[in-house]
Amino acid sequence: MIEARNITKFYRIPHEKTGTLFEQLLGRLKNRIMYEDFYAIKNASFSIQKGEMVGLIGKNGSGKTTLLKILGGIIEPTTGSFSIEGTVAPLLSLSVGFHNELSAKENLYLYGAVLGMSRREIKERLMAIFEFAGLERFADMKLKHFSSGMTARLAFATMVQTDPDVLLLDEIFAVGDKDFIPHCVSILNSYKHRGKTIIFASHDLTAVAKHCNKTILLDKGELKMFDETKKVLEYYKNL
Amino acid sequence: MKDIKNKLNLIYELSRLDFKLKYYGSALGLFWSLLKPFMMLGILYIVFFYFLKVNIPNYEVYLFLGIIFWNFFNDTTKDIAPGIAAKTHLLQGTNLPPFIVVAGTVLHSFWTFLITLGIFFIFFFAFGLHLATSVTMLILIVPLLVLLTAGASYFIAPLYMKFKDFGHIWDIFLQMLFWTTPIVYDYKLVPPSLSKWYLLNPISRLIIDARSVIIDGVYPEMKQIIITIIITALLCTAGTFIFKKYGKRFAEEL
Repeated sequence: MIEARNITKFYRIPHEKTGTLFEQLLGRLKNRIMYEDFYAIKNASFSIQKGEMVGLIGKNGSGKTTLLKILGGIIEPTTGSFSIEGTVAPLLSLSVGFHNELSAKENLYLYGAVLGMSRREIKERLMAIFEFAGLERFADMKLKHFSSGMTARLAFATMVQTDPDVLLLDEIFAVGDKDFIPHCVSILNSYKHRGKTIIFASHDLTAVAKHCNKTILLDKGELKMFDETKKVLEYYKNL
Repeated sequence: MKDIKNKLNLIYELSRLDFKLKYYGSALGLFWSLLKPFMMLGILYIVFFYFLKVNIPNYEVYLFLGIIFWNFFNDTTKDIAPGIAAKTHLLQGTNLPPFIVVAGTVLHSFWTFLITLGIFFIFFFAFGLHLATSVTMLILIVPLLVLLTAGASYFIAPLYMKFKDFGHIWDIFLQMLFWTTPIVYDYKLVPPSLSKWYLLNPISRLIIDARSVIIDGVYPEMKQIIITIIITALLCTAGTFIFKKYGKRFAEEL
């Protein structure tokens, strides 16, 4: 279960770039630092039951990724709090936490460690991951030589193998090819059956309509609507 | 318990990453890390022993030990910013705690430190010197050096992230610290009126103690050790406090 209570993420964006200490001091003296206040997420509260697959839609810059980043523990909310039962796997960018200079295998060891797996546990799953991603031949290739589709496949395969309780997905279907997407869909379906919670952010409204029973609509950081997918999509079309 | 084990494993994996990234594609690899202290030793030895005629017995060994201790502090605190930058992908894509990233960088430097310390002892015996039982005090001195360096690293990490020019400031600070630490000279040369302040520098204290237990075979005074522990503890507390307060926003400022 995911429970969010009044999550707000607030950024102060300086008008002038005050990146160095010297500039900062100078700005202070001249009293010239101007800020713009920007709410990436404004007072969002919701609760998602275990086993639900929830869509997350909204225009560019509406705060979808920010919300997922907060739930994934990557950034902290300015105010408000949330609680999540079980382990969380954020799959937010296509490259997740992969380093370009490392080989696919080395990346998996590192990424697995971040997810709390020992070298041994990862070793046992290594073959399964490459097999699932269809990348057996590329295990020792550096990630910078991977195409974006291959990276996304590897990321998805890794995440599946770590078997998290809560999945946070950001535009995962954007780069997969026609063979891989059905693969992902079948995995997602089996996750749903096994009672895993999934939040699925996407601009692909057909995919959202197909997979998610409920959907959250964000607009300029505000949670506009959280209801059955059909109703939310109807509302969004007229927005 | 499982959580602590995971964290330690993660720190270890991150230090491996640092190692790989540092030596990927370089012809001499790890050798560079060992070459640096030797080059420093060579040039400082020539200047201070031949030109300035420093009169310290076993000056090669004396100087080498000081350089190794200094380099650990110097290199670690300089590696913090590149260390964090190299983990941008993880900090922005996973819930990797920034605290662990800094610990990984410290561990990576510590490996290099241990290797150079091993070479130091080869050097030491090659000069026909002998160890006394006092060398066991290193069990206390080395962890203090690590804690001290970690404390300083946690303290400056948020500054590196916040201010792009902090690296230059830290460079100048390290230069000053190098000459106000008894690496190339004996601390007894410091005027007595200043020595009280001078000995507040914990790196100086540890270098003095390390030389005493390794080269002179003399145990340091208990009182002095306790003072060093207190200074180190204060620095660590300050470091973790600052990091807890400002370190959380790493992912946003990268």
